Amino acid sequence: MANTQGIGGAAKQAALASIVNGKALKAALFLASATRGPSDATYSTTGEVSGAGYTAGGVAVTNGNSAGLTGTTTFWTPSASIVYSSVTLATAFDAVMIYSTADANRNIGTFTFGSTTVSGGNFTLTMPTNDASTGLVRFA
Amino acid sequence: MSELIETPMIHTMQGNLPIADLEYSTSWEVADEYTKFIETYKLNGEIVRQSAHVLAKQGLFGESLTQTL
Repeated sequence: MANTQGIGGAAKQAALASIVNGKALKAALFLASATRGPSDATYSTTGEVSGAGYTAGGVAVTNGNSAGLTGTTTFWTPSASIVYSSVTLATAFDAVMIYSTADANRNIGTFTFGSTTVSGGNFTLTMPTNDASTGLVRFA
Repeated sequence: MSELIETPMIHTMQGNLPIADLEYSTSWEVADEYTKFIETYKLNGEIVRQSAHVLAKQGLFGESLTQTL
């Protein structure tokens, strides 16, 4: 039996837990022409969508899940869909940034979903299954 | 006694309109990371309501690294 090199799963879970567990999170939408991504340390309005029914900063994220651990992969996913109701976003957008208002608007992650517009309707982001294979945020 | 006739309405960019007066269409966009469903209502060829629903199939995956001693 050989030894195995690697970062402990419990340590990875603790690291993820420190940024998501019980935190107040929001989700903001960004234009397809914007250049937001993992290099952004925090949320800002640069490149954010604007339009009827949309408030800068986006909407609150339902955060009822804690960082989970299966094997050595830790994972976390919002516990409900993210919904922007009755909005008009005429300029194409393709990304959502989930960020922590509890930690000076720290960028948790930016997720893309293809160019989209909405007119007087709803935009809904339905979350993947919260597990080690498909969770929205995973560290292995 | 008069009979009450209810007309199904839907809220649009032009206010509440009878659904029966609108042209309804749907489209799908399927990618490895997501599936998107778009539903559009048009009145005389003009979009008066369009919604989009995205199902995220998987999130972001990060791999931890260790340095060999």
